[in-house]
Amino acid sequence: MNPAVGLAAFLGVALATAAIGFYGLRISRTTGDFYVASRTVRPWWNASAIGGEYLSAASFLGVAGLILLTGTDALWFPVGYTAGYLMLLLFVAAPLRRSGAYTIPDFTEARLQSKAVRRVTSLVVVAVGWLYIVPQLHGAGLTIRISTGLPSWVGSIAVIVVVCLTVVAGGMRSITFVQAFQYWLKLTALAVPVVFLLMHQADAGMPALADASSNPTGLPAAGLYQTVSLLVALLFGTLGLPHVLVRFYTNPDGQSARRTTLIVLGLLSVFYLFPTASGLLGRVFAPELARNGQPDALVLLLPGKLLGGVPGDLLSALVVAGAFAAFLSTTSGLVVSLAGVISQDLLGGSVRGFRVAALLAAVVPLSFSFTTDSTALAGSVGLVFAFTASTICPVLLLGIWWRGLSDTGAIAGMLTGAVLCGGALVASTFMGSSVAPGWLAQPAAWTVPAAFGVMILVSRATKHRIPGTVTRLMTRLHVPERPLASERPLATKRQLR
Amino acid sequence: MTRVRVTAPQSAARLAPTRPYHSREAAEDSDVGQVFVRSLIRSQLRLAVVVASGFLLVLAAYGLMVALVPDLAQMRILGIPVNWIILGVALYPVIGLSAWLYNRSAARNEARYRDLVEEK
Repeated sequence: MNPAVGLAAFLGVALATAAIGFYGLRISRTTGDFYVASRTVRPWWNASAIGGEYLSAASFLGVAGLILLTGTDALWFPVGYTAGYLMLLLFVAAPLRRSGAYTIPDFTEARLQSKAVRRVTSLVVVAVGWLYIVPQLHGAGLTIRISTGLPSWVGSIAVIVVVCLTVVAGGMRSITFVQAFQYWLKLTALAVPVVFLLMHQADAGMPALADASSNPTGLPAAGLYQTVSLLVALLFGTLGLPHVLVRFYTNPDGQSARRTTLIVLGLLSVFYLFPTASGLLGRVFAPELARNGQPDALVLLLPGKLLGGVPGDLLSALVVAGAFAAFLSTTSGLVVSLAGVISQDLLGGSVRGFRVAALLAAVVPLSFSFTTDSTALAGSVGLVFAFTASTICPVLLLGIWWRGLSDTGAIAGMLTGAVLCGGALVASTFMGSSVAPGWLAQPAAWTVPAAFGVMILVSRATKHRIPGTVTRLMTRLHVPERPLASERPLATKRQLR
Repeated sequence: MTRVRVTAPQSAARLAPTRPYHSREAAEDSDVGQVFVRSLIRSQLRLAVVVASGFLLVLAAYGLMVALVPDLAQMRILGIPVNWIILGVALYPVIGLSAWLYNRSAARNEARYRDLVEEK
């Protein structure tokens, strides 16, 4: 690939991100402005922003790479990433919006009336966020290496610098617009090359997809346990992701939170058609990428490989731009929500504290990313989902739907999930992917029920610690807001009376 | 008739999103009010569980089909294997449809609750 093309694409995305960020900064000055403005964000904007933030390196590069490696087994990843939002819609979206909580620790503290629960939740949220940023930086390193030939660390550092600059300067005020822009950029960046390549191949006479059913590296198919455990992780992991909750706050009420989630599902469904198509094209035309150990680069290399020349370069530039949009949007979303948690709980919640926290939130995963190796991106993000599903998911689900949850139960359950799932992931990493047994490498199927079980049993045993505010809080979570005057004629009538 | 809160239209509009609860809190704190709230929560939970199980059943049916019909991987539509089409394309409308049905029913549950509370 032409190095100038890759650099130009990265600079373009970074500048566009900064420009939209600063523009947003100029139209909104105070925190109050931000909150009021954010309530007028339309569902389409908001849904685009959620999609933009959610579609990370794993979705943009990793899914196609994994499909290249393992075929239909990998198709479960995009299905799970999307269906995770269905679970979020069913069990979490409207009540969480009505709780008025801005972060997950805010919610658990309000629900359980306990500072200790807040602290444990904060720790878990920070761990999840850091773990989730690392694969983004690996993706950035890979992209910079493939597209410009520079060493990987340049890419990771570039992403962190851009994110820190925009977050420290703009806070969370302008981020809705940045994220919404980045969803559409990512969709275009994947869709246009795929459509071009398919048209090109249709002209050239599509070769039969006969060998698409056998894996290029001869990997065996995943067993039933692996698939089920992966689905448990993805379905229940999504609703605990720290950067997702913040986005729901920008909906005016519970009903519109649900409407927004429905649009998000549509946006994700359209998006994932294209990594799937890229993966299928890769299995036919570029199986050697799987054999020489860089399947995640498939999306980046495919246009140049199939088209070549100027059109190939242009499409490659588009893909590189989309990839950086993916790293930047997910990383900045995570850094903002982590900085919020760290500054509130450790640094006293000042603006200065927020800036220090943002640096902390970004630099720690950067150092992780230097000490760890990039494996399959979709796989390593899948492990983060397993961790959230075993820690934050139980406390959210039980907190929203079960009056019997106590603070002791919540802490015990979260710690159980964190220790079991974290331990399994560390153990299987040390053993290496070829040696680790399936139940260690993909632990969600047993760690999630274990966390739920401990949380319920300990809550049962400590019934006296259930807060007295539970009735009022459950009412608040589930009772619909009074409709606004514009929504129902009945309300107008009542106001006139 | 119930109490009327007299406010300037502007400030009412500004406060509406943050304070929708207080006006009804009295009704919801009463025993009868709590019966309604509990039944609302139960019906929303039941709805969510039904939709989730429906979706999981679809996934399980696909798994069963793959296990029982090994020739599936060989079947093709427009040159693309059928299991790729099911997993890569056809499941997404199922997810969207489940979400849409859920949204409709959840809104209906809430409307029913509103009617119950406001008719008192």
